[in-house]
Amino acid sequence: MKKQILTLGAAILFTLGSATFIGCGSDNHHDGDHHEHAEGEEHDHSVVSEEKQDNTVIHSGEKVKDLSMIIEAYLQLKNGLADDDEKKAAVAAEKMLVAFSGFDKSSLDESKLSEYSEIEESAIENAEHIAKSEIYHQREHLVILSEDINDLISLVGTSQKLYIDFCPMANDNKGAIWISDVEKISNPYMGAKMPKCGKIQEEIN
Amino acid sequence: MKRSLKIITFFLLIALVGIQFIPTKRNQSNEVLTSDFMQVYQVPKKIEKMLKTSCYDCHSNNTDYPWYNKIQPISYFLEQHISEGKEELNFNEFGLYSKRRRRNKLRAITSQIKKGMMPLETYTIIHNEAKLSEKEKIVIEEWIDNILIK
Repeated sequence: MKKQILTLGAAILFTLGSATFIGCGSDNHHDGDHHEHAEGEEHDHSVVSEEKQDNTVIHSGEKVKDLSMIIEAYLQLKNGLADDDEKKAAVAAEKMLVAFSGFDKSSLDESKLSEYSEIEESAIENAEHIAKSEIYHQREHLVILSEDINDLISLVGTSQKLYIDFCPMANDNKGAIWISDVEKISNPYMGAKMPKCGKIQEEIN
Repeated sequence: MKRSLKIITFFLLIALVGIQFIPTKRNQSNEVLTSDFMQVYQVPKKIEKMLKTSCYDCHSNNTDYPWYNKIQPISYFLEQHISEGKEELNFNEFGLYSKRRRRNKLRAITSQIKKGMMPLETYTIIHNEAKLSEKEKIVIEEWIDNILIK
């Protein structure tokens, strides 16, 4: 009996040992190069989201030339937060990732491309956080995401009627904007606690 | 019954010894990078010390490891944790970030520190020196706000 246990033990040790020596090498090697393409390169997120394209209305290979998909995802996201609905916001954030990968940036001027890439990188990072965070943190990321989308609209343009709303109490009383497609104020930073807080700062179209 | 308990304990012990052979990649480098935060901005010594003590262990390419790091599975968890931390923010690579990303990160740093989300409590329990006092938090926040305006 004792002998058997010893043999078994040795076998476990051996298996564990060899398995780890084979498995460890490639782990975490990607970790340093994650940020290296800061200036205007494609990043690996787009690869991930491209795989998800199957579930969306975008047909593979056919890219969207305007911001409609991105704006649509944004509006769903901020509506989710205005409704205090963490899940809805997270789903919309995923949708935004897909929308970015489906956007046809080849139609942009060369001069706009680098700014577009910076905005895209930031918006994707914020959307990724919103997709996996609790509502209070989703709202923190909405502050910057809203600025990103606003800058994107200024850069690329849109034919949609939109409103830029401002709430002075959001973002720890530093104030924050959000974008809406309706005139009525419905605050995504405050939710049901203070739905009417804010005012229209600017109208687009 | 007693016998099977003995056997189980025996195997657990063996497994514990076994996993000690799992190697980990240590997050250590002596390179001084031009992309480091301290090269990108003119950081007052006082603030440099705070950031290095409170943030750099998980947010740079160089961790000052505690002694128990060599014990598995602790080293495995630390490795995962540091890898996530660096992906989020790496002070050594700050200069490689786009202008927009730098601004985002500066804003996130102040808000995380101000709200006491960072440094993590699980970290400061062991690293008492990494705790930031209310006064220190304000010093960092004011300094970062000042860069953000520029």
